[in-house]
Amino acid sequence: MKLISVELTEPLPSIPPPTCGEQWVLLLLRGRPLGMLHTGPGGCTPRELARVTLEQHGWAIARHVAAYSMSVGADAARSPISIDDLAKLSGASREETDARAAITAAVCTRNRADQLPDCLHALLALDYPAELLDILVVDNAPADDSTRDVVDRYPRLRYICEPRPGLDWARNRAILESRADIIAYTDDDVSVDRHWLRAVESAFRQEPQAMCVTGLVVPDAIDTDAQALFERYGGFGRGFERGLFRVDVEGGHSAMRRFGGTGRFGTGANMAFRREVFDEIGAFDPALDVGTPANGGGDLDMFFRVLRSGHALVYEPAALVRHRHRRDYPALKTQITNNGIGFYAYLVRTARAYPDERRAVIALGVWWLWWWNARRLFASFVRTGRIPRDLIVAELKGSFTGLRRYAAARRRAADVLRQYGTPQPAGGAKP
Amino acid sequence: MTPTRAVTPRPHDWPVAVRMLDLRRPLTALEDVAPYPRTRVFVQDEGVLIGSVDIQNLWRPVSAVRLRDALANGLAYAVLRRGLERQLGSERPAPLPPDVSVSVVVPTRDRPDDLRRCLAALRAQDTRRCLEIVVVDNHPGQGATRAACAGFPDVVLVDEKRPGLSYARNAGFAAATGEVLVAIDDDVTVPAGWVERLIAPFARPEVMAVTGHVLPIELETESQCRFEAYGGLGKGFTRFEVDGTWFRSMRGAVPTWHLGATANAAFRASIFRDPAIGLLDEALGAGMPTGCSEDTYLFYKILKAGHTIVYEPSAWVWHRHRSDMAALEHQIHSYSRGHVAYHLTTLIRDRDPRALVRLGWSLPKAYLWRACARLRGTSDYPLRLILTEVSGNLAGPWALWQSRRRVRRLGRSAPCIAPDRRAPRAAGASGEIHAVHVESPLTESTAS
Repeated sequence: MKLISVELTEPLPSIPPPTCGEQWVLLLLRGRPLGMLHTGPGGCTPRELARVTLEQHGWAIARHVAAYSMSVGADAARSPISIDDLAKLSGASREETDARAAITAAVCTRNRADQLPDCLHALLALDYPAELLDILVVDNAPADDSTRDVVDRYPRLRYICEPRPGLDWARNRAILESRADIIAYTDDDVSVDRHWLRAVESAFRQEPQAMCVTGLVVPDAIDTDAQALFERYGGFGRGFERGLFRVDVEGGHSAMRRFGGTGRFGTGANMAFRREVFDEIGAFDPALDVGTPANGGGDLDMFFRVLRSGHALVYEPAALVRHRHRRDYPALKTQITNNGIGFYAYLVRTARAYPDERRAVIALGVWWLWWWNARRLFASFVRTGRIPRDLIVAELKGSFTGLRRYAAARRRAADVLRQYGTPQPAGGAKP
Repeated sequence: MTPTRAVTPRPHDWPVAVRMLDLRRPLTALEDVAPYPRTRVFVQDEGVLIGSVDIQNLWRPVSAVRLRDALANGLAYAVLRRGLERQLGSERPAPLPPDVSVSVVVPTRDRPDDLRRCLAALRAQDTRRCLEIVVVDNHPGQGATRAACAGFPDVVLVDEKRPGLSYARNAGFAAATGEVLVAIDDDVTVPAGWVERLIAPFARPEVMAVTGHVLPIELETESQCRFEAYGGLGKGFTRFEVDGTWFRSMRGAVPTWHLGATANAAFRASIFRDPAIGLLDEALGAGMPTGCSEDTYLFYKILKAGHTIVYEPSAWVWHRHRSDMAALEHQIHSYSRGHVAYHLTTLIRDRDPRALVRLGWSLPKAYLWRACARLRGTSDYPLRLILTEVSGNLAGPWALWQSRRRVRRLGRSAPCIAPDRRAPRAAGASGEIHAVHVESPLTESTAS
């Protein structure tokens, strides 16, 4: 069933019983994501929804109310909290900020013309001043003109073709083509929330030291068991608490030891960078991510390099996108395998690029193998868990595959470079 | 790509920037904390202390939004409860009537700069009451204190030649004329609304003592941070009160050391004239071999007499902790000596067997736990300081014996006499009053 968003400042709806899959509810308070819950097979009444919400998310509501009672910066000083405020959440709207920075929203896609319109409609519905927003569709090594035909239907979109196969080539193309100071990336299987870019922009404005902002990824719908399983396996969501992460690199602290598992910060389906950071730390590694033997890890690597260079990364759950999870089990399994391959390819890449982080990389690689893979595998023999054993085995296998894949991916990237030459800007701008 | 890493990464636990902010004002970014890896923010709401949060800012400013998140995450409950209190009107107790006279007693020993700062802050108190300020010079031959007081003409200066903080405070209490006597140290700085918040609980007749919070004014060095981690001088952000029932209900030793300290406390003057309570025990306290615990023993006697002690966190003062490790170890050693000396005193003087429970069981157990936690790595409290504490404890009995001998040699403090029965300009056995300050008519009318 499609994910239902419920704004707690408005009268609660009743949730109908799901006709297929599971019914998940995203709770929002004044527009900020607060948490998720899923209702049983019988749906639930407003009263029941309120009870479950308070049981599971009462503390999160208290934190939001407390934060809301404190005024920030130039805001008009708010009146102190009263019992009324505690009891009545209504009467207050989402915190609007006027967007000021120009943003390039980049979608990298490959041979998915059938799914693309959903993604593009969401981007066109973004609540962001049109003169500040530049929407870029990067078509990566297309087999035919179908993507171009879809994009041509929307005059506001900019179509760019990147012939070098590999997601990170496409992401780097977006950097070359971008005209804005902030580049926000999303994927072609994602519907962005209306307020996505406002949240990204205000996160960058509120935290001048942040070079990267990641956001919340919730499932678009849970229709099949495979989709429910993906969410249970870990999903893409990284919690509902805003966080700022930075490593004291100049003080001699290891970014790998502190935050090596950069998957905790988010995913490439919802990430944004200040353009200037690429001038400093370089672009995405074309040997990584989908379309290469490494099959993933390009986003993890970029998060790590941002932290490794001493910059801050902000996780802002208000920057919300909805991801369409794979519907069938084989596709899910492939994705889980790729998670393992991508993560270990990223570790190998980091160990090659930063010799001083090598020991921390090995420590993390071994620990992750034990803590995430082996431990769950053993547990699955003791009691049949909620996660099928073959998924765990798939990721474990992927992890070992990933160790070998990076070298091959580098050779492939070098071949691509020889074949196509260095990317140049303004290649395929739409006339 | 990046410079090679230093051998030992720099620590993130100190120095700590200390900031106080008022929830009533819009939050602004903390731009000036860039020299620090960590920031401790104390939060007040119109003079009511709500709590504190730590932010690991790693040598960068803290944005307003991050500050708000940290406050909301760390203090959501306290902030919401404060909102309820305000709504229900339970936030402000009845104020102390304005005709109650108050004296502040500041003992000092050759620290003119600290004293000057302290007196200036006392003069700037936001109160309509006439505050009598009594400074006790515990090293009168040196002359620095007298010079420091010269700029404050209405300060009463009392000399106490016998070294010892208890002697000095007792001399100050005996010379002061207020109905409420406030004790602070010379190295604290008081905020403007402090004294009224500290004495407000005396509006209830059963309250005989009030203690307040002691916040660190700076956490610049490792030793200052360690001292806060050790427990500091404050007792938390929650108001509480204890009385005779609580005292009697304790199976083990009465934990009077959790009630506060005379670095920031107020007493009803009548208790010092009560034969069951009396003045501070001269054998305990700084300047004596025992090193401390004179205040805990006074609290013990107040509770034993069945009176109430209130801890009022909103009456906070700022204290500058010792800034080098040697001084910290010395201080912790003396705390540990005084702690044992205090329990022995309750055992010998008051025949309280509960002291044995503490000395024979819970104290050794506490050190064992702390050492285990350190060895397991769940705490970073240094083993060295644990050893310092244990050796201080072992030295406690001997220190008490030495202190008792010294008190026998030097004599007891002069008793506290009601102001209206005192001989005018009396030079007590303890010392000499140099400048008798002519208080406002208010004080004189209450004294007569």
